Amino acid sequence: MKDDYLKFELRETDASVANALRRVMIAEVPTIAIDLVEIEVNSSVLNDEFIAHRLGLIPLTSERAMEMRFSRDCDACDGDGQCEYCSVEFHLRAKCVTDQTLDVTSKDLYSSDHAVIPVDFSDPSDPNEPSDNTETQRGVIIVKLRRGQELRLRAIARKGIGKDHAKWSPAATVTFMYEPEIHINEDLMETLTLEEKLSWIESSPTRVFDIDKVTQQVVVVDPEAYTYDDEVIKKAEAMGKRGLIDIRAKEDSFIFTVESTGAVKASQLFLNAIEILKQKLDAVRLSDDTVEADDQFGELGVHMRGG
Amino acid sequence: MEKKNSGEFKELEELVWHHIDSFDYMVDRGLEIMLDNIKPCRQAKVSYTGKFEADVCFQYDGRPVIREKYNLGQFPIMLKSKLCYLRSADPQQLVSLKEEASEVGGYFILNGIERVFRCLIMPKQNYPMSMTRGSYRERREGYTDKAVVIRCVREYQSSLTDHSSVTVRLYYLRNGSARVGFWVRGREYLLPVGIVLKALVETTDREIYENLTCYYDEKYEKVKGAVGSQLLGERAKIILDEVRVASLFTQDDCLQHIGEHFQPVVDELENKTPYTVAHAVLKDYVFVHLPNFHDKFSLLINFSRFVDQTSALDNPDSLQNQDILLPGHLITIYLKEKLEEWLRKAKSLIQDELAKNNTFNFLAVGDVRKVMDKNSSVSISTAVESMLRSGRLATQTGLDLQQRAGYTVQAERLNYLRFLSFFRAVHRGASFAGGRTTSVRKLLPESWGFLCPVHTPDGEPCGLLNHMTCSCRVTSYFDSQGAVKDFFDIRKSILGVLTSLGMIASLPKLVHAGPPKSLSVLLDGRVIGSLPSSKIEKVVAHLRRLKVSATSAIPDDMEVGYVPLSIGGAYPGLYISTYPSRFIRPVRNISIPSEEGQDIELIGPFEQVFMEIKCPDGGNGGRSDAFPATHEEIHPTNMISVVANLTPWSDHNQSPRNMYQCQMAKQTMAFSLQSLCFRADQKIYHLQTPQTPIVRTGAYTKYSIDEHPTGTNAIVAVLAYTGYDMEDAMILNKSSVDRGMFHGQIYQTETIDLSDEGSKSDRSHRRFRRSNTDRSSHSLIDSDGLPYVGQIIQPNEPYCSIYNDITNSSKANKNHLQKVNIRFRHPRNPIIGDKFSSRHGQKGVCSQLWPDIDMPFSGVTGMRPDLIINPHAFPSRMTIAMLLESLAAKGGSLNGNFVDATPFASTVRAANAGEANSESESLVDELGKMLKCNGFNHHGVEVLYSGVYGTELTCEIFIGPVYYQRLRHMVSDKFQVRSTGPVDQITRQPIKGRKRGGGIRFGEMERDSMLAHGAAYLLHDRLHTCSDYHIADVCSICGSILTTHFQPQRRIVRDIGGLPPVKAPKKVVCHACQTSKGIETVAMPYVFRYLAAELAAMNIKMTLHLNDGA
Repeated sequence: MKDDYLKFELRETDASVANALRRVMIAEVPTIAIDLVEIEVNSSVLNDEFIAHRLGLIPLTSERAMEMRFSRDCDACDGDGQCEYCSVEFHLRAKCVTDQTLDVTSKDLYSSDHAVIPVDFSDPSDPNEPSDNTETQRGVIIVKLRRGQELRLRAIARKGIGKDHAKWSPAATVTFMYEPEIHINEDLMETLTLEEKLSWIESSPTRVFDIDKVTQQVVVVDPEAYTYDDEVIKKAEAMGKRGLIDIRAKEDSFIFTVESTGAVKASQLFLNAIEILKQKLDAVRLSDDTVEADDQFGELGVHMRGG
Repeated sequence: MEKKNSGEFKELEELVWHHIDSFDYMVDRGLEIMLDNIKPCRQAKVSYTGKFEADVCFQYDGRPVIREKYNLGQFPIMLKSKLCYLRSADPQQLVSLKEEASEVGGYFILNGIERVFRCLIMPKQNYPMSMTRGSYRERREGYTDKAVVIRCVREYQSSLTDHSSVTVRLYYLRNGSARVGFWVRGREYLLPVGIVLKALVETTDREIYENLTCYYDEKYEKVKGAVGSQLLGERAKIILDEVRVASLFTQDDCLQHIGEHFQPVVDELENKTPYTVAHAVLKDYVFVHLPNFHDKFSLLINFSRFVDQTSALDNPDSLQNQDILLPGHLITIYLKEKLEEWLRKAKSLIQDELAKNNTFNFLAVGDVRKVMDKNSSVSISTAVESMLRSGRLATQTGLDLQQRAGYTVQAERLNYLRFLSFFRAVHRGASFAGGRTTSVRKLLPESWGFLCPVHTPDGEPCGLLNHMTCSCRVTSYFDSQGAVKDFFDIRKSILGVLTSLGMIASLPKLVHAGPPKSLSVLLDGRVIGSLPSSKIEKVVAHLRRLKVSATSAIPDDMEVGYVPLSIGGAYPGLYISTYPSRFIRPVRNISIPSEEGQDIELIGPFEQVFMEIKCPDGGNGGRSDAFPATHEEIHPTNMISVVANLTPWSDHNQSPRNMYQCQMAKQTMAFSLQSLCFRADQKIYHLQTPQTPIVRTGAYTKYSIDEHPTGTNAIVAVLAYTGYDMEDAMILNKSSVDRGMFHGQIYQTETIDLSDEGSKSDRSHRRFRRSNTDRSSHSLIDSDGLPYVGQIIQPNEPYCSIYNDITNSSKANKNHLQKVNIRFRHPRNPIIGDKFSSRHGQKGVCSQLWPDIDMPFSGVTGMRPDLIINPHAFPSRMTIAMLLESLAAKGGSLNGNFVDATPFASTVRAANAGEANSESESLVDELGKMLKCNGFNHHGVEVLYSGVYGTELTCEIFIGPVYYQRLRHMVSDKFQVRSTGPVDQITRQPIKGRKRGGGIRFGEMERDSMLAHGAAYLLHDRLHTCSDYHIADVCSICGSILTTHFQPQRRIVRDIGGLPPVKAPKKVVCHACQTSKGIETVAMPYVFRYLAAELAAMNIKMTLHLNDGA
């Protein structure tokens, strides 16, 4: 488990719950991302839309996102997204005056809220990365400027969810797989020679099996590496040893992998996802499973029915 | 930024070289052209021209020559030609000049539009071709359908040429004689061959007879390579008898005869003696490539060898007998004609002036100038410019060309491949496009290696518009050092070499033996002698060796067309060509020992047919041992064009798919230009985030396509997932699109020229300014009357304001801005209905932007595909290369390297590896191994889970990155919708045309299908209610719908205070019956009423009988 990486096992539930969690993590955990850009000066080579799009895709630290309001149902500003409850303002001023090309990066964005800043990808614990302010630390490049080119803009970041636009998705990847149950038929395995065993092991593209150096027995090293590709089973059949191996997926156990964009810590992302899933279930419960409730919950109701 | 040296684009430049080259030569050829100033033409919408001046010499009555300079106007200049200021610029300089770093030039800029010359296929110059054509029989009574045709290109004593050509035909008559036919001023003149022969040189009947019959020898009648039959002597007699019958015995007699015949036709010679006229005619119209009359004579003798047709006919559609027409050559001819026209006009003007004005002093420069000014000299350049702009030739003579229009096309910069293809395109000629015969479109084996078999459009221009292969070049006037070739010297040295090898030089009076004993040698259409057939093989081999070696005076692009002896084959002989505008391509000469260094020989299509060239795949290609291969292809990819070369592993695809890809590559929305901000093209398509393909061919790096990439590597899953991927539809991942995949823009430039529009009087009063009184548009338009820079303009909003101030004086207005370019940027991000394609002719339309979470995902990596296509796209189309690309790209991206996908690479490699390692691995295994090393299934499949249910999909899914192109066809430009809208004035039916808000035709077939379904109401709705529904008043008494009209009603109902006036009831009266009794209202299509009116105009009365119900 790292800040942006999480691997865990989910037990005693079924695929629907696991998948619901995955879907919520990708598409419904809110984050903050730049949504409105007012460009004052742009003499760079990239056009306004391009820059606005790039700005939108910069991950912003979004711990606050859960408490923030969606600008569309913000009371303080009638939903025009300009108030402190639903928006964060950014400024960017960059002008290249030297002959050297100037990289405008996410570090040049000045936030009005210190809690919402562009994600810092530099890893202080990484010894390979120099600590001084070199280019590796400069963040996400927005545009490169030549001498005389200038970029000046005001951007407003808002809360949103990944379903609306991918820029609000906090997760780069969320995936799960069934935990495999691997049984080697030891009796049959013993009929194989060492070479046969080795070639059988080699038939799996991932290192699931290995050979015990002492006993020369095939052992399962990493069941989680198994990709359900059935290569070993096919190999066994090709060797004429049907039933050499038996692999079954555990129906109620899932190995989850979560990778975050950095907007929210991977662990927090998971907790937020559970929170949101809870809210959604509450909403369903409230609706008393009437069809009329669909109107009440609008989009949510539609979504719950399998959108 | 990395430094680019100019060598990087050398390969690219080479591709367009033939365009520039030919223009250079045209410029070099003694024309004084001076370059003034060059403006940024594309933006200013003017033409890129230079000042064109010429010295005009006057000579009158033998007095000294007066030279004077005349300005002939602004002459268009080809980019990167010798006159262009970009010529020597390196990429860095080009960028600072606001051009593309990889600018190759070769086109003209006319009125801001880039026009490129469309190269045309021409009949091979100076080569006699025997042909049969039905139309020859219709020439006159007694003609057969056979003729020998030669397209002669004019040449002067010094071997200089101006590329004007005259086609001479020798028709065969049924009685055994022949006629020489040539065109003078749009009319064909036919002369008996005997007269021409006699007129050319002082000779006797016996000499002619001997010369004509020398090609036949009874001894060799049935031997291989024998031509001619006993009839030859008979024919020669007939030819000579004809002359005798006309009682023309001597050369003078013949000349006199010809001269009298042509005197009224050839102008400027009206009052000369027939003798000089005949001389001029023979000089200017018969075999113009030969200045020497003796040469003409021997060529005409050589012509008659075809008399018996014992040898095969030449195919005029085969590339073997073809050349290419280049821009410089056409401009030269055209310019020459225009100059002649101008001079002729000037001459007659001066003559007129002299006739009526006695005081006119010819020596006074001023006077002459005054007269000459009447004849606008600028018109010459204007004529050339308009020729290039419109591609149309305005000429009376036709210039011996087959078409008048279509010589230039606009070089669209939709993407770089399209732009490049314009320079590689060769058209067969517009005259074939309309014809119903398909034989010209056929892909003939003769074009192997020169024209790409894959890169031709399908549909109407299929097979007519071809593209040169990537290795094909065109011979030019310049040798490899860039110096102008001296053809006189070259020919002399060739002649020297041949004579030293045992050629019997042709001399007047000398009679040569014919095949199979010896073969005649023609050098650029001149009979230079004959070689004994026993020696000829050796001579050819020697010539080839000299050709390749750098030290000899023999040019490396010389064509040694050796037609060997055969039975019923082409007429044997040795045809040597050195002239420019031939196709050439390099092959390796393996008969030359490699110690001699260079072994790359440039060969032409004529000689290729008789050469033994093997493919470098290790095999012998079914060659018999009697004819061992003397040459070898350099690489199999040389046989396809640049664009076709970019398709990865095209050798694994079904061939039509490669053709489709060639077309689609050219309509891809791509990174078209690097100098985007300095351009004002009407429309530029631009892909925002292009990528370089992971799987690429050798050509991709060779031609630095990375400068203008055309697509994106998309993760493609092949599965039937939602039903939205049926019938070539494809599903895009919405999140991928959100993140910028396939985003793009269209840049559109609108030019508003105030001096162009409006009437003359108010032109000067208009300028760009916004109105001070009307403030409604101030948020949109700046004070200068133009939009704010960077402003977002919604549809139907004003974007510029033209102010008309009559109060201002007209002079001050001159300084005002009169012309603006407003450039719009339309963001075009992918939406449903946009078209995409892979590089394998697999195109599809986006049917859904599917949410990321609903996409299937890989349990191991968590990857969701960017794009889903249906597996049904593969079995029938057999685009195996696409599957290979997916595999290779997957492996390549895992290893972090590019994968080479050069087609035919495996065959070449196998050949190099030799027989020892013949059991080499298949490509798939190789790629599979790469995947397996990285922990993936070696067939490229993965276990995917349903995005909706989270369950494992029953099948393993083939998934991997494939380079996808976004095509320029987008729904936003295509959708057409209408409920109500403009209607046609006459019929009141909805108009057509998307631009005008018209409807889509509900045509006959649509109607049929409605009928078949019995959907009567729907049919009625479409064809009547939504179209020209009309309620007509019909008089049931007379049955007319035209005579009814409204009776003007007096207002009976008075206004009742405060209430609106009651509408008076309509009263319709029939004009014919003078009553309103029988008036009924009938709903009908309005066109019906129109029909009645039209019929009435023709005195046909239409009556309707009305009744109720059935």
